[in-house]
Amino acid sequence: MNKRPEIEEIKARFPESYVRDEEFRGDISIVVRKERIFDIFKFLKEDENFLYDYLVDITCIDYLKLNEIERFAVVYHLYTHKNNSRIRIKALVPEKDTVISSVCSLWKGANWMEREVFDLFGIEFIGHPDLSRILTPDDFIGHPLRKDYPLKGRGERENFKVVK
Amino acid sequence: MGIENLLKSNILVTTVDAVVNWGRKYSLWPMPMGTACCAIELMSTLASRYDMGRFGAERLSFSPRQADLMIVAGRVSIKMMPVVIRIWEEIPEPKWCIAMGACASSGGVFDTYTLVQGIDQFIPVDVYIPGCPPRPEGVLDALVKIQKLVEQDSIKKRK
Repeated sequence: MNKRPEIEEIKARFPESYVRDEEFRGDISIVVRKERIFDIFKFLKEDENFLYDYLVDITCIDYLKLNEIERFAVVYHLYTHKNNSRIRIKALVPEKDTVISSVCSLWKGANWMEREVFDLFGIEFIGHPDLSRILTPDDFIGHPLRKDYPLKGRGERENFKVVK
Repeated sequence: MGIENLLKSNILVTTVDAVVNWGRKYSLWPMPMGTACCAIELMSTLASRYDMGRFGAERLSFSPRQADLMIVAGRVSIKMMPVVIRIWEEIPEPKWCIAMGACASSGGVFDTYTLVQGIDQFIPVDVYIPGCPPRPEGVLDALVKIQKLVEQDSIKKRK
């Protein structure tokens, strides 16, 4: 079965970033390293053949205890109106260096989604205009969707500021 | 023509408490603190089929300053709880509170870092309604229980 042209293009243009690709029920995922992630998105968005103009979602996976190369993966879902097709990019982020470049300058909708990933997983997005917490309270400490965060918290639900 | 004859046929003697509480209990103005799915059941209770208006509590007060009953319907997170406390304090005395559903009463299934495990840790709750979500009959039952509490209220007790 022929692979989708996006996979071949990314393999050819970013050989040092490409890790592997997966397909599940017709949807493809490309696992890449995080270093040139911005260039990959710029290519996918601006190349005449693809024109991935819509960023559907940004989310994150914590691979703690799951044999993955790195601990985290930031997952980007893209959609192209031109070809009516979808692609998923997983950017591997190591535990020691939880930094990745922001894609806000490509898609404005990335702003709040990156803030959510920062808030809940502690991934830092370089170049984000206002990287602050979006869901948890401003004085919250820690990133609660990491798999090593205790489910019942560290006393947040007993001790919090009361508005007077 | 003595005033005694008029007294016999036109005047009832009672206490201020009885009259005030009688009026108050049939005209409760609930403040809906609807944060989740319980609020949908609360809306259903107010609508035509169950009709909370039959008990005199159909006028929801979206300003806490005119309310006298707060119905906390739904889960309250640690980010929301300061707001709930503030709204509770803005309600003038006398006031009553209903914790509607498992989440408001105890945290329910959400035994997690972000959810307050029962609003009674921070504000005084008069009536708890069990259920996830409770049926509208449960809300009406709680309202009748609040009315019984209103009956026991007294001007003397308050400062």
